[in-house]
Amino acid sequence: MIKLAIKDLRLFFKDRRSMLLTFAIPIALITLFAFAFGGVGKNDSDTKISLLVSDLDHTDISRNAIQELESLKSLQIKPMSLEKAEKAIKNGDESCVLVIKKGFSDSLTLGGTLPLELKYDEAKGIEVGLLQQSLIPTIAMLPFNLGNSKTMMGNRLSKMAGVSNPKAKQDIRNQSDHLFDAISIGMSENNSPEKKGPATFFFGGDIKMTKLVKSTNNNQLGLLQAVAGTAVMMLLFSVVGIGMGLLDEKQEGTLKRLLYSPMNPINILFGKMLSANIISILQLLVMFVFASLVFGLDIGAHLPGMLITIVATAFACSAFGVLLASFAKNRQQVQGLSTLIILVMSAIGGSMIPLFFMPVFMQKLAVISVNYWSIQGFYDIFWRNLAVTSPTFISRIVVLLLIGGILNLFAILMFKKNILKLT
Amino acid sequence: MIEIKNLKKHFNGREALKGISLSIKDGEFYGLLGPNGAGKTTTISILSSILNADSGTVSIENFNLNAQSKDIKKIIGVVPQEIALYNELSALDNLLFWGGMYNISNKNLLNRANELLRLFGLEDRKNDKVKSYSGGMKRRVNIAAALLHNPKVLFMDEPTVGIDPQSRNLIFEIVEKLNKEGMTIVYTTHYMEEAEKLCDRIGIIDNGQIIAEGTLDDLKMNSLLKETISITFSNLNDVLTKELSSFWNDLKQIGNIIHFYSSDVKTDLSKLVLKCNQLGLEISNIEILKTNLETIFLNLTGKQLRD
Repeated sequence: MIKLAIKDLRLFFKDRRSMLLTFAIPIALITLFAFAFGGVGKNDSDTKISLLVSDLDHTDISRNAIQELESLKSLQIKPMSLEKAEKAIKNGDESCVLVIKKGFSDSLTLGGTLPLELKYDEAKGIEVGLLQQSLIPTIAMLPFNLGNSKTMMGNRLSKMAGVSNPKAKQDIRNQSDHLFDAISIGMSENNSPEKKGPATFFFGGDIKMTKLVKSTNNNQLGLLQAVAGTAVMMLLFSVVGIGMGLLDEKQEGTLKRLLYSPMNPINILFGKMLSANIISILQLLVMFVFASLVFGLDIGAHLPGMLITIVATAFACSAFGVLLASFAKNRQQVQGLSTLIILVMSAIGGSMIPLFFMPVFMQKLAVISVNYWSIQGFYDIFWRNLAVTSPTFISRIVVLLLIGGILNLFAILMFKKNILKLT
Repeated sequence: MIEIKNLKKHFNGREALKGISLSIKDGEFYGLLGPNGAGKTTTISILSSILNADSGTVSIENFNLNAQSKDIKKIIGVVPQEIALYNELSALDNLLFWGGMYNISNKNLLNRANELLRLFGLEDRKNDKVKSYSGGMKRRVNIAAALLHNPKVLFMDEPTVGIDPQSRNLIFEIVEKLNKEGMTIVYTTHYMEEAEKLCDRIGIIDNGQIIAEGTLDDLKMNSLLKETISITFSNLNDVLTKELSSFWNDLKQIGNIIHFYSSDVKTDLSKLVLKCNQLGLEISNIEILKTNLETIFLNLTGKQLRD
């Protein structure tokens, strides 16, 4: 029994593929997920949340308010016109914009509700929620930091109490002056956001929340993420299988037999690429049609964009599969390598975890994966309702085609170097 | 006509071909005989233009291999050593696919595929998946796939490995027929019986070199080999062996068998039997080993063909 176990262990430790699957891949994935989830909620510079700010008030007080926001370490403030900001959000480039509306300065002075609106992309709800946590205490403190705070607080309390009698108003003002002093002392002792609760209570820190990009009845965010994310990941696994057909041909001698014919050898690879593309397109189409029939994803209204994204995704993914097969020396090597690469690409590219769950640096890293560009393409069409002529959408398609083109080029070189020589 | 001059090929510093030169006439059935690793497949790979030689020249039907490989590929057929077929496709579909590589019109291709399936005795099962075929049937399809475009020259690289006698005989009949119809055939094998049965001329290749070439009779004549009288004894001992050695110079002992080499078997056999009787040796078996390719090869290389 012990001898059998020792034999198995020796075989296991000699088998690189088993070692890769047992240790390297889980370690790689744990590392990735740790980065992805571990970064959420951190306030270091790497996880700064980008906040566009559109100042429609154009007063010194509104400008000072922006400066106050800029002092927040967790936020990266980007002043921008409302039109540009809304476009950036709709294109998926930014999450939200804080609109400082006209009358902000007057409201601050008179103690009224501050005319602030946060317009955001529902798909980035988690990021916006974190942003709110940082934003509300600071907004609440604006009257203290920017205006005649005592007067404003008194006015506010009177309004809250619904008092119109001048005497009662004066009484409230006197009491609020004492309260203000107490709060100010407390604040000077503990100048942390958590201790700003009383200010938040009095001045609200209210921000009107408006979804600029939101779910429709048929195109729910979760459904889209599930379909697009899973479809691209599974496609990558499928194309690797198709690519491996090239290695099977080599192993079974049919590749050699093809080379005996007068056909140009490179046509063998092109044939494999063509079949991989056709199967990939069919697979994606079936997945989206299934999502439409079973879960009600509205593909009819987005057909041209969906088809373009499917074709571009199929092109990029097929090239990946064929390249792997051209690169590797045998089927086992492809299986080990492809599992690792696909899982890593899917993890960082948003197939497994939606990108908006991840810290900013992980979101930036996502651009190296095919999954990212494809999923964003589907988001552009189904979620952001972008036209196929939109530069943002076109840029995603161009990137996918470029990825496909470059990978195909490498596949051709590797095919000539590896496959043809090994026949 | 196939002309090969001073063909050389290295693999990772090892000389696979050390300057092979051959001349094969139109319509000839030429056998390339050698053990595994001798250079047969390398030679076929170069002739069929899927492997570049390091040096040397090859011309097939007046086409130069370096400059006109595409033209050469159109007139040659290659039967690879391995069964290179798509197992999930039927025999007919396989033939239609492989024929499609040669730009044959669909109608002609279908006719030719059916003709070959009939010739190879596979018509009844032409629509069955190849994976359901026996080894011999697969070998037959493997050969048929190389004949779809009616090649002028057919390279067959050990086409009968692991085959049943029935399929082997059928293949022999077909290739002999093709050769009689004018097809030049280059046939590599390490089965000497095949080479003896099929080939007009034989080239013996070992360690990347042609070490002998000619008809079987030429090879026998040139080898100057004697025939062997092989006698098995049941009471052989050292003393008796010594007695035999002093009586017969050219012999070799293998256990209780002694090979006596002879230039005149008829005369020498009676001499030997008489001497054995005188010495009281009990003979349990006598065998006369004729000179054949196996013995010629052994004599030339010191190796068995199946080494």
